[in-house]
Amino acid sequence: MSDKCSCEQPLVPTVVEVVDIQDETPDVKSFYCRLSEGGVPFNVAPGQCAMVSYLPVGEGMFSCTWQEGQEYLQFAIKKVGLLTDELHAIEVGQKLGVRGPYGNGFPVEECKGKDMLFIAGGIGLAPLRSFIKYCFKHREDYGKITIVYGSRSYADLCFKEELFNEWPAIKDTEVYVTIDNPEEGWDGHVGFVPAYVEEINPNPQGVIAVTCGPPIMIKFVLQSLEKMGYSDDQVITTLEMRMKCGIGKCGRCNIGSEYICLDGPVFTLTQLKQLPQEW
Amino acid sequence: MKILSKDKVERVLDKLAESAEVFVPLSRANSSGFYSWKTRNPEKEQLMLETLNVYLSPKNVGFPQTEKMYSIIQSGTEAQIKETFEDSSPRIIFGLRACDARAIRCLDDVFLTRGYEDSFYKARRDNMVLIGQACYEPGPNCFCQAMGVDPLEPEVDIVIRDCGDKGYIWETKTPKGEELTTSISNLLEEKELKAPEAKAFQTQVDYEGVAEKLKGMFEHPIWEDLSSNCQNCGICTYVCPSCHCFDIQVKSWGEEGYRFRCWDSCMYGEYTAEAGGGNPRPTTKERFRNRFLHKLEFFSERYGYPLCTGCGRCIVACPTGINIVNIINEVKEASVDV
Repeated sequence: MSDKCSCEQPLVPTVVEVVDIQDETPDVKSFYCRLSEGGVPFNVAPGQCAMVSYLPVGEGMFSCTWQEGQEYLQFAIKKVGLLTDELHAIEVGQKLGVRGPYGNGFPVEECKGKDMLFIAGGIGLAPLRSFIKYCFKHREDYGKITIVYGSRSYADLCFKEELFNEWPAIKDTEVYVTIDNPEEGWDGHVGFVPAYVEEINPNPQGVIAVTCGPPIMIKFVLQSLEKMGYSDDQVITTLEMRMKCGIGKCGRCNIGSEYICLDGPVFTLTQLKQLPQEW
Repeated sequence: MKILSKDKVERVLDKLAESAEVFVPLSRANSSGFYSWKTRNPEKEQLMLETLNVYLSPKNVGFPQTEKMYSIIQSGTEAQIKETFEDSSPRIIFGLRACDARAIRCLDDVFLTRGYEDSFYKARRDNMVLIGQACYEPGPNCFCQAMGVDPLEPEVDIVIRDCGDKGYIWETKTPKGEELTTSISNLLEEKELKAPEAKAFQTQVDYEGVAEKLKGMFEHPIWEDLSSNCQNCGICTYVCPSCHCFDIQVKSWGEEGYRFRCWDSCMYGEYTAEAGGGNPRPTTKERFRNRFLHKLEFFSERYGYPLCTGCGRCIVACPTGINIVNIINEVKEASVDV
């Protein structure tokens, strides 16, 4: 399923134009990029990443959302450092470089016929969202879809339109949203994601759970899932490490002998347990 | 057999340098390394074919310490990649030893296999000929054989064997080497020489089973102890012929700039520091452990042989006396709860 960067110069980006920028939260923006002549420079499978290059500033690896027939690549980027500060300051029309797609992506085929449980925190919803959208596009191939998502506050929830309006309206879909602390005007759930998952307590029978968020959240979610009876093969996560090349050569994103950019970022818990605990 | 007599070595290098950049072991500025024959100052710099390992390896010939990748222009919202800089000009490395030849094989595996060919490395490597020298007398810090390298048979295009005053046996091993041999055949002689007897290694180490044992030693207290003197200076990674980690950075001024890559080191905190503030290898212990596990375990798991070639350079260079041979021995002796 995964697409792979097939270019002869895998470290050299292709120039694309930013055609739209949407504020998702106070510190997350979605950037929509396409070739100036139209179309996308490459196809991207759910869970894959691409390197975004603001040419004179730097490059960063981001989860990339694209669906068949879509005329642009979407990146939801949180403002956390030098490059992302600069990216948040650009305007529509800006030319950027992109290279990819990188990584293995989610096992969307193997999950067909299963109920899906997506558990995300903060910007961690971005990679899961490409899988969620894939499931909705191929709705008949998947069973019940449960989405549990949390952020620090209401303002920090990404993709609110999909979260509160689009997704809950899709048949056989449940969306649970939580924020870390109570706030005025919020009458939904309050608390951390792992505890909320345990509260919802989704039966593991025939389910594949997919989780992404801050590393600490992932660790607690993995514990919660184990407690609820999920086997290691039923649990999938997607990891993040600092990356430079994206093609398993520059060295830094290894966990044991695996390179996250190339062999990951998606791992089952079974695979993850065979690696050193260094993430 | 073909013989290169010692008084013709410089003529051969001159001849080869007419059509390629020829890198040879030279003394330079109180140190030594592989430098272009054309840049030699004959009054101050000696050809060091007799020295086992010069201080710096020829790693930079295929994988330069800094390499410009592509130039960019950005003006307002407009941006373009102007030019890419794959460098395919011909290069020859003359006189490298089996350990350094093995290190080039490591780089080949990293840069040219597992799904992606690095176009910058490939351009250099495709146009590179290796003339390696067999080692008959291992040096005090040599342990290549323990790491699976045969010092008598460097993995190269042409092997030369030092037979003392009588000259070098010149053995062509590959079609690339054949072509080069033909181009200088008038400088080679045809006679029979006997290669010297190989002497024993002074440094004894047993790597057998170490990669497998290390699998169960990630959390072992030994790393705290072994890393306690490490200053994270990174010199081991720079002098290492097989360390391949790199960074990608940009240099820009006005509307122009270029992106380049340069050697990086897993010894530095910045190496894995994430933009959001996290760092999976925050202290010396984790960085040190990752380096030695990469050398002795992870690379073996991925490519089937270790990323250490036993050249001994890091042992010589380390300012605090950290010695990979001792580390292998300590790992061998460590008790592991099963």
